[in-house]
Amino acid sequence: MTIAVFLLLLLGAVPISLVLALTAMWYIQASDNTVLFDSYPQQLFSAIESYGLLAIPLFMLAGELMNEGGLTRRLIALARILVGGFRGGLAYINLVANMMMAAIIGSAASQIAIMSRAMVPAMEQEGYDKPYSAAITAAGGLLSPIIPPSMLFVLFGVMAQVPIAEMFIAGLLPGLLLGASFFIVIALVGLIQQYPKGQWPSRRQAMHDALWGLPALSIPVIIIGGILWGIATPTESAALASLAALLMGRFVYGDLRLGQMPQVLKRTAVNAGLVIMLIAAAGVFGWVVIYEQLPQMAAEWIAALTADPFVFLLMVIGALLLVGMVIDGIAALILVVPILMPIAENQFAISPYQFGVVVCLTLVMGLLTPPVGAGLFIASSMTGAPPLKIFRALLPFLLATLVTLVLLAWLPWLTNGLIQR
Amino acid sequence: ARDFRLGLITPAQHLWSTEAEAFAETLHERSDGEHSVSVFPAQQLGNEAQMVQQLQSGALDMAFLTIAEISNRIPDFGALYAPYLVDDVNHAARLLRSDAAGELLDLMPQGVGLVGVGYGMVGMRQVLSRDPIESADDLQGQRLRITPFEPIRDFYTAAGAAPAPMPLLEVYDALANGQVDAIDMDFDSILILKFYEQAENLLISNHMMFPMVGVVSGRVWRELSDEDRELIDTTMAEHLENVLVGFEEKDAAQEEEIRAMDINIVEADAEFFAEAIAEWEDIWAPKAPMLDTLRAEAERLRE
Amino acid sequence: MLQRLSSGLARGEEIAAAALAAAVTCLILTNIAFRVLGSPLYWVSELAIYAMIWMTFLIAGAVFKRRQGVAVTLLSDLLPRTGRKLVGLWVDAMVLLFAVLLVWLCWRWYQPLTLAQMGFDTGAFQGQTFNFIYAENTSTLGIKKFWVWLIVPWFALSLSLHGLANLWQSVRQWRDPAEEPNTERL
Ligand code: NA
Ligand code: NA
Repeated sequence: MTIAVFLLLLLGAVPISLVLALTAMWYIQASDNTVLFDSYPQQLFSAIESYGLLAIPLFMLAGELMNEGGLTRRLIALARILVGGFRGGLAYINLVANMMMAAIIGSAASQIAIMSRAMVPAMEQEGYDKPYSAAITAAGGLLSPIIPPSMLFVLFGVMAQVPIAEMFIAGLLPGLLLGASFFIVIALVGLIQQYPKGQWPSRRQAMHDALWGLPALSIPVIIIGGILWGIATPTESAALASLAALLMGRFVYGDLRLGQMPQVLKRTAVNAGLVIMLIAAAGVFGWVVIYEQLPQMAAEWIAALTADPFVFLLMVIGALLLVGMVIDGIAALILVVPILMPIAENQFAISPYQFGVVVCLTLVMGLLTPPVGAGLFIASSMTGAPPLKIFRALLPFLLATLVTLVLLAWLPWLTNGLIQR
Repeated sequence: ARDFRLGLITPAQHLWSTEAEAFAETLHERSDGEHSVSVFPAQQLGNEAQMVQQLQSGALDMAFLTIAEISNRIPDFGALYAPYLVDDVNHAARLLRSDAAGELLDLMPQGVGLVGVGYGMVGMRQVLSRDPIESADDLQGQRLRITPFEPIRDFYTAAGAAPAPMPLLEVYDALANGQVDAIDMDFDSILILKFYEQAENLLISNHMMFPMVGVVSGRVWRELSDEDRELIDTTMAEHLENVLVGFEEKDAAQEEEIRAMDINIVEADAEFFAEAIAEWEDIWAPKAPMLDTLRAEAERLRE
Repeated sequence: MLQRLSSGLARGEEIAAAALAAAVTCLILTNIAFRVLGSPLYWVSELAIYAMIWMTFLIAGAVFKRRQGVAVTLLSDLLPRTGRKLVGLWVDAMVLLFAVLLVWLCWRWYQPLTLAQMGFDTGAFQGQTFNFIYAENTSTLGIKKFWVWLIVPWFALSLSLHGLANLWQSVRQWRDPAEEPNTERL
C-alpha cells in the first residue's frame, strides 16, 4: 500500500522531495507508530545539519562565478590549444577534465554541478547535442567518489572500521578503469554519431589564449593546493575558489559586473536549495524506513539465496541499483552498510575494500538514475536539458559503469591489489 | 510484549555494539521470549543529539550515549570530565561503579527526560600529534581536534591550544593534510583507525576518562510495569558492567601494542598540565557542584 | 489579495535566501582567515550550517510557489490538456496537504499553547509534557536551539500560504478553458 502511495505521488508529478516527505508521513500513520510524528519536523531539519553539505552551495557558487567571470571560457580556450583540433575534441577534454576534478572533489553532486556549468555551454556552442554534453559531464561525476579524495569512502571507512587511507588506495585502479571505459564509450558513440569537427587555433590566437588562460588555471590550483597543503577542507577550498573567481572575473577579465551578483546568488540558492531539500526529505524517508527494519529484511533475503561471493556481489549490485533509484548515495550508504557489511565479511569472506568500492560505485550510480537522481537533476538544472533526455544519453555510460562493476566484483585484486597487508 | 529499539553511534564490531546485542539476547531469554530488542548501531537512527530527541519523544526506547551528549544538557555531568579526576581505566571503572557517580544518574529524568541505568566507557584520552609535545608550552597554538563538548574544549583552551571540534570520520584526513596538528583520542581508536600513520608523536597523558551511559526513554519507562523495569534495569546494568570490564582488560594490551610501535612517546601527568587544570577548575567548579563529591570519592578509591 | 501576499512573500524569501548564500561563503572564508592567523573561531562552522539550512527552507517555499520543484512529469506530459490541468490541480493540492500537515506537526513540536498556559516556565513545561525542545542548546553558539528550528514552522506556514494561493489559482483557471496554470519548468 505504501508503495502504491509512493508511486501515485511520484508519477502524479508531485515534487520529489514532497513525495518522500508525504510517503514517510503515510508510512508512520499506516504502521501505527505515530510517536514518530513527534520527531518528524526535527528530523527534517537535522537530516541536513551537516558540514559536508556546505560544499554543495559553495561549489555551485564557484561554478557560477567561473562562468559569469569568463574563467571557464578561457580555460576551455586553453584546452582547445591542446586537443581542440581532433574530431570530438571537447568530449575528450570533458572527460580528462572530469578525471582531474575527481582528484580534487570528493562528492559526485558537487563535481557534476561545477563541471556542468563549465563544460556544457561550451560543448553546445561547438554544436554538440545538449543532453549528450550534460550526460558526459554527469558520467564524469561518477569518477569523483571513486578516485580519491572521496566523501563516500570516508563514510564507509568509518562505518566498516576500515582505514580511510587504504580505502582511498583501493579506489585508484577502479577509478582509472572507469575512466578508461568512458573513453571507449565516447569513441564508440563517435563512430555512430559524428562529433563536430574541431579546429586548431592560429599561432597568434594560441599565444593569446594561453596567456589569458593562465590566471583561470589558478582555480584548480587553489582547490588542490588548499587541500594538499592543509590550508583548507574541500568545503573551504570551494569558498576560496569562489573568492578567487570573483576577484579574477571582476579585476583581471572584467567580465563580471557586481550588478550580476544578486542573480548569481539567487541561482546558487535555488540550485543548492533544491538538492539540499531533497536530501532533507530523503533523510526523513530513510529514517522511517530503517525504523521499520525494511533493509534488514531485504539483506536476510539476499543471503538466503546463494553461497558464492561473486553471485552475492552481483545480487548486492542489483539490489542497490533499486535502492539507488529512490535514495540518495550517502543516505543509502548509511542505510545498507551496517546490514550488508557483516554478511559480506562473515558469510562470504569478501574483503571490506572490494565490498566498499563496489557498494559506493553502485550507490553513486543511483545519483544518475530516475526517478530520484540528485546528480541527474543537478545536471538538468545547471544545463536546462530535461532529466530524461540526459538519462537516455547517459545509458551507454551507465552500461560501461555496470560492466566495470561486474569486473570489480569478479576480480578482487582490482581493489585489494595495491593494498599492502 | 514489546519490541524495544536501542540506538548507538559505534560500528557493529565495537564492544559497545556487541554488548548491546548481548543485552538484547539476555533480555529476550529472561522475559521468556516476551520482550525483544532491535539494535541500531553506527548512527543508523541519527547522531546522539537526534537520538536524545527521539528518546525524549518516545520514538526510541533505549540508547548507549556518550556522556559528552548529556553534559551539554546537564552541566553537572561535566564533572566526570575533570582533568586527572582518575589515574587510569581501572580507577575510572571503580569511580563509575560508585554511588557518587550513581547520584548523577538521578539528575537525568528531570534534566533530559531519560532514565540512566548505568555507566560504560572507552579508554582514557591521549594526545597524538604531528610534532613532539615535550612540555605544556609545545601545545601553544596547536590546532587540536576534539569531540564537540564543553569540558574538553575548556581544558584545551586553558592549555593554550586551539581546539577544533570535528566528527571522528573526518579526523584521519584532517591529520593527513595538516588541518589539525594534534588530536584528542583513546588507544582503541588510535589503533583501529590507524591515526599513528599520520602522526608519530604520542603523549600518553591519561588526562580524562570517557564514560558512556545506558539509558531508557522516560516516556517509555512511565509505561512499563515494575517487573519489566526491574528486569531491564538489572539486565542492562550487567552488560554495561561487561563494557567496563572489557575496556579494563583491553587497555593494558593496547598500551603495550602502541608502545611497541616505532613512534615517539612522551608521558604526562597532572603536573604537566597544572596551569590548565587550575583554570578548568575555576570554570567548572561553579557549573558542576557534583565535582567536589566526585573528587572525594575518586581520592577514596585511589589505590 | 491572497496572490499578492504570496508573491510578495516569495520575493522576500528569494532575497533572504540569496543573502544567506553569500553569508555562508563569507563565514567559511572568515573561518579560513582566522585559522591561518592561528586563532580559529570554533563557532563559525555551526553558524554556516544553520545559514545553509535557513537558505534551503526559505528558497524551498519560493520554489514550490513557482511550481519549479523537481518532479517526474513523464506521465503527465503525455496527457491531453484537461488531464494536465487535473494533474496541476492534484499537485497543488498535495503541496497544500503537506504544508498543512507540517504546520500541525510543528504545533505538536513547539506546543505553544501549553507553554503559554505554564506561564512560559520551561522547567514546568518539560516536567508535564516530557517535551524538551526548549532545553536544547546549540553546540557552540550559546543560544537555545528552538530559535534555529523556527525555520521549519516558518517554512510550513509560508508553504501553506503559497499552496493555498496556487490551488486557488488552479481552481479559477479550471473554469476558464483558455488558460493553463502558469508553470515554469527548469
Ligand atoms: Na574524488
Ligand atoms: Na536514482
